[in-house]
Formats: sequence, structure tokens, C-alpha cells
Amino acid sequence: MNPYAIEHEALMNHAPETVENVYLPKVAVLDRVVSEIHEVNTFYWHFEDSAEQYAFKRFRPGQFAQVSLFGVGEFPTSLPPSPTEDETFFTVRQVGSCTSALHRLKGGDKFAVRGPYGNGFPMEEYRGKNLVFVAGGIGLIPLRSAIVYALANRDHYGRIQIFHGAKTPNELMYVPMLHEWERTPGVECHMTVDRAAEGWTGNVGVVGSLFKKSEVEVPVENTIAFVCGPPIMFRFVIRDLLGMGFQEHNIVSTLERYMKCGVGKCGHCCIGVAYVCVDGPVFTYEQIKTLGEDI
Amino acid sequence: MKARIVRRQDVLKIADLLRQQGYEVIAPFRGRGRDTFFDTVTDGNRDQIQIHLPNPYYPPKRYVFPQIEPLLKIERRNGDLQIAPIYDVRRRAIFGIRSCDVAGIYHLDRFYLGREYPDIYYQNHRKNLFLVNVACTDPELDIGEECFCMCTDTGPAARDHFDLQLFDLQQAGLGDEFMAVAGTPAGEALFASPIFGKGSPQHAARRRGILEQVRKLFKPSTTSWFSAAIQAVSRGEVTDETWEQIGNRCLECGGCTYVCPACTCFTVTDRPVEAGVERLRIWDSCALGGFTRMAGGFNPRRAVHDRRNRRFFRKLAHYFIQRELSMACVGCGRCAAVCHGDIGMPSVVEMIRHAALRGKEA
Repeated sequence: MNPYAIEHEALMNHAPETVENVYLPKVAVLDRVVSEIHEVNTFYWHFEDSAEQYAFKRFRPGQFAQVSLFGVGEFPTSLPPSPTEDETFFTVRQVGSCTSALHRLKGGDKFAVRGPYGNGFPMEEYRGKNLVFVAGGIGLIPLRSAIVYALANRDHYGRIQIFHGAKTPNELMYVPMLHEWERTPGVECHMTVDRAAEGWTGNVGVVGSLFKKSEVEVPVENTIAFVCGPPIMFRFVIRDLLGMGFQEHNIVSTLERYMKCGVGKCGHCCIGVAYVCVDGPVFTYEQIKTLGEDI
Repeated sequence: MKARIVRRQDVLKIADLLRQQGYEVIAPFRGRGRDTFFDTVTDGNRDQIQIHLPNPYYPPKRYVFPQIEPLLKIERRNGDLQIAPIYDVRRRAIFGIRSCDVAGIYHLDRFYLGREYPDIYYQNHRKNLFLVNVACTDPELDIGEECFCMCTDTGPAARDHFDLQLFDLQQAGLGDEFMAVAGTPAGEALFASPIFGKGSPQHAARRRGILEQVRKLFKPSTTSWFSAAIQAVSRGEVTDETWEQIGNRCLECGGCTYVCPACTCFTVTDRPVEAGVERLRIWDSCALGGFTRMAGGFNPRRAVHDRRNRRFFRKLAHYFIQRELSMACVGCGRCAAVCHGDIGMPSVVEMIRHAALRGKEA
């Protein structure tokens, strides 16, 4: 049964109080800003209204939010915190007009947020499975939520492996957290850089080169691989994973698109038959392949 | 559905009745030549309302989905942000909307209200809207070269989703009456006016006879092969080569989406106003290069044909028709009329069908 097969009369007669204004963002206060890497900062914030904060905190890993900078516009951004953490924050690269406006804000400044939107990672469905996270550069931002969530619910998951690659050591994301993960028992955390710098003693090479190292053994059976990163990294990692025997439906990623509404109306993020905002942003590689557009 | 009879000299009194009830009445008027347009009815222009005329290129969609619509008003006071929604709850009636445009509004209903996030702005317009449909019966004025509502099953006389439908019973210069059919209780309530009289079985027979004749007036050349095109698009049988041929003829003006009564895409922008900022939504077009371009410059749809592909895929793929339970093409023919590259919907359907046939023979 098609869930949209509602009678036309029923559509027209939604009582006004049952229809929420989905375009109305709620005021948020910026608490503090932490610099991550060049042009990438983490913005800790909370809703002015504590009821909004409580409602928002029910988000799932992999979902996203719309951030409003009034007078400039609105942009979608992934939610790097896990719902198991206390604070809400965004990690954003300064790249366009809206993100630049966010970077100009200081602690105490007000902006607005609405969401959460999108499907998110089905973490419940993945219970009992091994989780392999492969992140290139700022691709670690959307995966951070799922990693922290899995670690907070450690008993529900099998082996947890994290592979993070960046161009240079200065561009590794969430470095204090990476070091913490390295020390956490039951987590295998591996890092690599394309070009080493002075003082770098770790691996040099693309993120896929980590899979071939002798001390690394990636489980393939009963494993979900989370892949996120720039298009070229994505293509090569997918090739490596498929070569290792991963099935297409066990590889998941989260897509980004130009978006205006976040609720399946404005049409910008529609790829093939999917609206990234409501049907995604999390898709399996099996689905991504059929969408028929560049990643 | 209840029906009544109205005399020709009384037809415009329906617009008067609606105005008396407090509706802002919108009706079609004639400019020079082919130029026709929808405008608000006033005491001054009331007598110029046209019952039969070529359908205006600029569709009446804007009365439920305005080209520029304010969403929010944001004020900054001492570092605080005040965000207030702006709602337009004017009661409007469109007198003389064509059947294809009624189907267009129905499609917008399904799209904006029938999904997991109903759109309150759209709903405010729609709940306050009254539709008086005029069936297309005049072979010279109503039925244009590009019309293909026969293929999309949306005309020439709408079967549903209007409040009142007017059907001209004049045939070969005889008969000076209209049949009025009520589609909703609000439409039926108008029948309390003395301008409406009882009809007879002869009137009903006459309506059927005229409709049968009118259906034959549509040009067979524009009878595009919709089902064949839907099959080919849905099965992924349309080759990149065909999409490229279509894309090569696109001048990226966005005209097709601008005149389309079923296109839904918009962009959102902030404009400074006195004491703050106003957030607006504005029609957007998938034909334009910046439609999918992200901050940083990456554009997943760089090539023109990728964008053309999108418009027709969105309108013809079975998946979307099932998703909305309504097709995003209503056969009005406006895209065919305005496209400089002759890739309106009928031409594209024809190109897809030809290519699919060639593919099967090869």
C-alpha cells in the first residue's frame, strides 16, 4: 500500500493545528568555537528554548540539520555529535557565503536551526555486526556520530575499525578524539596521510593502502562498511572494498547535495528517483549505483 | 454531482456572487493578439472577463504557489532574534480556470500536502481557494495547436477537483446556456442563487454530444505517445545519446518550468527589509546551471543534457507518478509553445518513442 494514497479530501482537510511550519527555524545560541583544521571549526550551540533542545536531541546518527544565518541564507550540515553525547555542535568548513557567515559568529551570537532531517544510519539494524568506518578528510564529520554512538553502545556491535585518511597530518580531523580511540580497547583506529610532514611516523598513502597492511585484518563477513570522503577517495575505497568481498548493500555512505528545504519540496537534491533530504542522506552503495549521478 | 443551467448573460454573475462573498476573484482577460492573462476582477474590468480564450501562458499556479512568497520575517533586537512566519490567508476564487490547470493544482496538492511534511504556506492558499472551471469547448479559442490534455487525461472537461464547472452548451450557433456542475458542497451552495435553473435530460445529452465532438478536434500530431515514453523512461531504456540530443536543443532559459502548471521547485533567499530580514521562496528551475551547484563549485549535473534529463525523468518516470499518485504533466502544451528549441513535452515524448523503437529494431 502506497503511504501517500490518502484521499484528496483528507489531504485538503488537515486541521491547521496539526500542520507544523516546517520552514520555521528555532533560535540557537553559539556557545563556543573550536578550531579543528584550516578553515574547519566546530561550533558548540544550544537552542534558546530548552524544550526545543530536548526535542532535537532525539536525532539519529547520520541525520542533518538546516542552519540559518539571517540575511545570508540557510545551509544543510551533518550532525557530528551522537545523541548519546550531551552537547550539540556542528563541524563546518568555510566554503560558501552561509558557512563563512557562521565562521564570523562569536560566542553568545544567535542564529537559527531546524531539523533533524533525513533517514540517518540504521544503527539498530546493524546490531550484532562488525562496523568498519572509512573516512577521507572532513568525511569523518558525518561518521563521527555513528562511531561515538557505536562506542556508547559497545556491547551491541562486533569489531569496530576506524580508517581515517587526510592529505597531510595537519588535515586529520578530530585529532584528540582519534588518539582517544587509538587507546580505547576494542577499537582499531588507523590513520594515514597522503604526504607526510616532519614528525609524522604513521602510514603514508591513500586510505585504501591501510587495508593492505600486515597488522590490519578487515572482517568482511557480517560487516557494515561506512564510507565517506571526497569523490575520488570514495571511488577507490569502494573498488577496494568490493575487491575484498564486501557486498554492495553492506557498504553505506552519506551524500551531500545543494538543498534549500530539507523536507522534500524544493527539488534541488533530487537524484534519480531519490530526494537526498528525505530518502537519504544515507544510502547503500547498491542504491547509490542506481541513482545515476556523480557522487 | 449536482448540475444546473445558467443563461449566457448570467454567467459573469457567478463572478459577482463570489466577489460578494468576499473572494478576491481572478479571471482570464485578453490583451493584444494571442496575449491573454489572469488578473484580479474589479468593477472596471468585470465586463471584459473572457469565457473562451487561449489559455494564458503564465499559469494560475501562482495563486497557490506564488512566484515570490515571503515565508518569515526576522527582526534583530538587542542581539535577540525574533522569527515570525508570514501567512497569506486571502480567500481567492479563480473564475475560468482550464481543466489542465485544475489538474495542475491537484498535482500541487498531492506534492505539497500529500507527503511526510505538509506545506503550511501552500495549504493556507489552497484551503481558501475556490475554483470555477470552464470546459474547453470552443474549437477556435479554447483548443490550441499545442494542447494535448487528451493524452494526459486531464481535459477537455475536468472530472474532479473543481468547485464549479461551467460547460458551454452552444453548438453550431444554437443554444445560449451553460451547464454548471458542482464539484464540492461550496460549489453547490452557489445554486441557491436565482441565476441557476433546473436542467433537463436534453441538456445532459447535449453536453455529452458536444464533449464527444470536441475530443475529436485535438490535432493528432500532438497526440504524443505518453504511455510509450513513460515505459521507456521508467525502464531506463532511453539512451544517453537520446538525452544528449534533447539536451543539445535546450537553451537553458528555464521558460518551460516557468510556464508549467505542475512544476514545484523553489529556492529560498533572504532579503533585507525595514527592521530586519524577510525570508522568501522563489520559483527555481532545473534547467538553470546553478540549480544543483554546491558551495565550493562541485556540480553533479554539469552537462545541459543532465539537467534536461532531470525535468523529463521527473515528469515521466513511473516511480514519481506512483509517489504522488498524479503525473507532473497535465497536457497544457505551454512548454511546447514557449520552447525556442522545440523540446516541449510533446516533442520529447516523440523523440523518446522514436529512439526506443529504433533501439528495438536494431
